[in-house]
Amino acid sequence: MASTPVGRGRPATGPARRRGILGWFDPRGRRLGGLAFILNRLTGLGLVVYLYLHLMILSMLVQGPNAWDDFVDIALSPPFLALDVLLLTGMLIHGLNGIRVGLVGLGFVASRQKALFIAALVIAAVVALVGALRIFGGE
Amino acid sequence: MATEPRPGDRPDAGPRNAPVFVFQVISGVGLLVLLGLHMVAQHFIVPTGLRFYADVIEWLRNPVMIVLEVAFLVFVTYHALVGVRAILFDFGFSERTERRITLVMWVVGIVTIVYGVALFAAILGAA
Repeated sequence: MASTPVGRGRPATGPARRRGILGWFDPRGRRLGGLAFILNRLTGLGLVVYLYLHLMILSMLVQGPNAWDDFVDIALSPPFLALDVLLLTGMLIHGLNGIRVGLVGLGFVASRQKALFIAALVIAAVVALVGALRIFGGE
Repeated sequence: MATEPRPGDRPDAGPRNAPVFVFQVISGVGLLVLLGLHMVAQHFIVPTGLRFYADVIEWLRNPVMIVLEVAFLVFVTYHALVGVRAILFDFGFSERTERRITLVMWVVGIVTIVYGVALFAAILGAA
């Protein structure tokens, strides 16, 4: 791989170096693997934000039953449930695509990675749909 | 020229980061198990999808569940911050800056875990 030396001669790989963070949202000229790479990072960043948001929300438990139970009532409203579906979808995409990245990165099934990515997206979509029906249906 | 990452490229490829990648995979697998347990126990088997206060306290008084939740916190924090580190490394900072980023991630991770454990203790203490 020909590359421009960056920082002590290390190769310049990665979309952030090539096009900046905004380049992650630019689908032009990307192959499927590149899209999977970007998708994994975007969902990962979203989940990191959620992790800290979740810890902040849990701190309401210290304030006692009134504060927490009032929050639960709000969290069970449709807009919040829609965010739950978004969260579930992000977790599924990141988790399933992460399995693919792990397998390929460790040298397993490298020749099947595109099929694995498509399979991961299909499974994520199906499970997210079932999850959405359950979340909004309450059953 | 700089190139698009090839399919299967590791998030932070390079011999120096190979152990980090392996640990990231291990923590990811651990997360799949612990997150699955967390989602089932905290959301799927709860009729309303979220536990009300009394149910949360009853849940946290079970030592096994506390151990599982703390393990989940450790795994998710490690996995998240290694991921953030990999993204920051993509910008091509100097090795010195990368070492500083790693140090900051360790500090943030430890603070997060300590905060989470203290939060569990505070919740139980206030109940």
